[in-house]
Amino acid sequence: MIRLLTAVALALTLLPSPAGALSVTDQTGRRLVLPAPPARIISLVPSVTEILFSIGAQDRLVGVTDFCDYPPAARRKPRVGGMLAPSLEGMVSLKPDLVVATTAGNRHETFEQLERLKIPVYVVNPITVADVLDLLTRLGRLTDRADAADRAVAALRERIQAVADRVDGRPRPRVLYVLWPDPLIVPGRASLVSELITLAGGDSVTADGGQGYPRYSLEAALARNPEVIILASHGSEKSPLTRDKWERLGQVPAIAAGRLHTIDGNLTHRYGPRIVDGLERLARLIHPEAFDRAAIR
Amino acid sequence: MSEPLPASGARLALLLGGLGLVVLAVSLGALFIGSARVPPGDVLAVLTGRIKGVDQVVVLSLRLPRILVALLAGGALAVAGAGFQALARNPLAEPSVLGVSSGAAFGVIVAQVFGLGGSLVEAVGLAACAFAGALVAGGAVYLIASRAGGLPVHTLLLAGVIVGIFFSSAITVLISVVDFDRLGGVVHWLLGNLSPIAPTSLAVFAALTAIGGWLVIGAARRLNLLALGEESAQQLGVDAEGVKRRIFAGAALLTSAAVAFAGPIGFVGLIVPQTIRLLLGSDNRVVIPAALLGGGAFLLLADTVARNVIAPAELSVGVITAFCGTPFFIYLLRVRAADPHL
Repeated sequence: MIRLLTAVALALTLLPSPAGALSVTDQTGRRLVLPAPPARIISLVPSVTEILFSIGAQDRLVGVTDFCDYPPAARRKPRVGGMLAPSLEGMVSLKPDLVVATTAGNRHETFEQLERLKIPVYVVNPITVADVLDLLTRLGRLTDRADAADRAVAALRERIQAVADRVDGRPRPRVLYVLWPDPLIVPGRASLVSELITLAGGDSVTADGGQGYPRYSLEAALARNPEVIILASHGSEKSPLTRDKWERLGQVPAIAAGRLHTIDGNLTHRYGPRIVDGLERLARLIHPEAFDRAAIR
Repeated sequence: MSEPLPASGARLALLLGGLGLVVLAVSLGALFIGSARVPPGDVLAVLTGRIKGVDQVVVLSLRLPRILVALLAGGALAVAGAGFQALARNPLAEPSVLGVSSGAAFGVIVAQVFGLGGSLVEAVGLAACAFAGALVAGGAVYLIASRAGGLPVHTLLLAGVIVGIFFSSAITVLISVVDFDRLGGVVHWLLGNLSPIAPTSLAVFAALTAIGGWLVIGAARRLNLLALGEESAQQLGVDAEGVKRRIFAGAALLTSAAVAFAGPIGFVGLIVPQTIRLLLGSDNRVVIPAALLGGGAFLLLADTVARNVIAPAELSVGVITAFCGTPFFIYLLRVRAADPHL
């Protein structure tokens, strides 16, 4: 009897109400009622696009943004424009039954316009690594790919744990992570990158800075004597993050010791499954001695 | 216009020497102050070569080049402002008000889209793009605003606003098409952002400021005559059109150099020359060289505030100059713009 009740309750929360409608709560706690599991999804978030591909739900993806460039197959999906001002007409013409949007990068006006057009909007709001894994699980449930999502989450957890095992008990080097060099923008409090640095066995020297990704004084950062400096690169173009500017500061111990590194920002700044790739690279840069002989993958 | 005070060499030398001392004092102060809290004794030790390591990097590689950038950019913008004011015979003319800064900024962002950066050739290319943008913007403002009788105050300001809006929109278009991740940096840069730049860029910046400064300062005496009216000036043997072209080129060059290497920082070209005029009278032979030194000191002071007031975070120096500049602009607009002697 209790099992039956549980099953009924579960069915009520997850799946069908009598008309086949589906009631879900998005990552910001908003409640949505969908007439059926979504089969035509528009992703306004590059990391959501990556997640849908990674759990094999790409067939349900009918539209992406100009910034959805991974995996390469995402480039072949119809595009609806940028994140700040996607084309409403473009979205409507793709006849979506769900739009996935983010609080970080999309505008609230877009959500409201879509809802006025009776297009349901699922809002994601990931801040931490746990949020990213939660998002994978949620998107798996939403697209009937729960098993694939659970397997993906388990694999990611395993890799995160493997990194933790390797760096555990080692001294934690002070790390300066440079999101943008000029003006200097760094990971501060409650940011994904600060968390990744901690998980990779380092101490970010700017973790006490402002919320999220604040501007920071370069001399204040250097005065904390970072032992490792990591520059984020952005895309393929020759960016102002070129290393020569930093190499001129050769008296800084981290640079003199050859511990000035670059990392692909798409791995560390996007709230998708590749953050674990980013974590593994960070750990190798921060603790090369822990990875001397064997690779984790 | 009242008879310009005789700018006797001795008086001018005394004035410029005094301003030079002010610049030196502010520079030394800026060298000792910063969020890294290097003790004064250690700064001295770095300067005499007795300390190496992080303190040396902070003082010699971060603070010193930034001080030089502030001095150059402030001087360049103030002389450009003085030049535009004399040219337009309008106290409110200034690189950012006239839209010339926006034109230069557009040029810089175009150059950045093509990936120009730090090397000597690239620094020259960056400045060339900025100069092209400044010339187009300045030329457009002149064509829009000029009337048979000259450049009426309000028409000139409106033309500057319109051209500024046009180039700001063009910048927005470029920002929309370049990589999303670069947005944060560009938006900060547009607010005016001093930072230690590469020695090659610094050298190019200094050379361009010297050329632009020479173009404007060298024509100061003829600008005084021009202020008497173009006809009278021509009777005194001044090639009015030639002087105007020279000042325009010099002021545009100074603006574009400052924008290329320090960002579009507003209002320096308004505050500094006008303050000097209020204090010392309107002889361009005094005002323009004094603006070179005073502008440097002012911008360095503003930047020292910007990098310390909310440490370890930083403000954009353009925010400080705009807070100083807007009340000053209103004062000039309400009180002084009606005064034909300005």
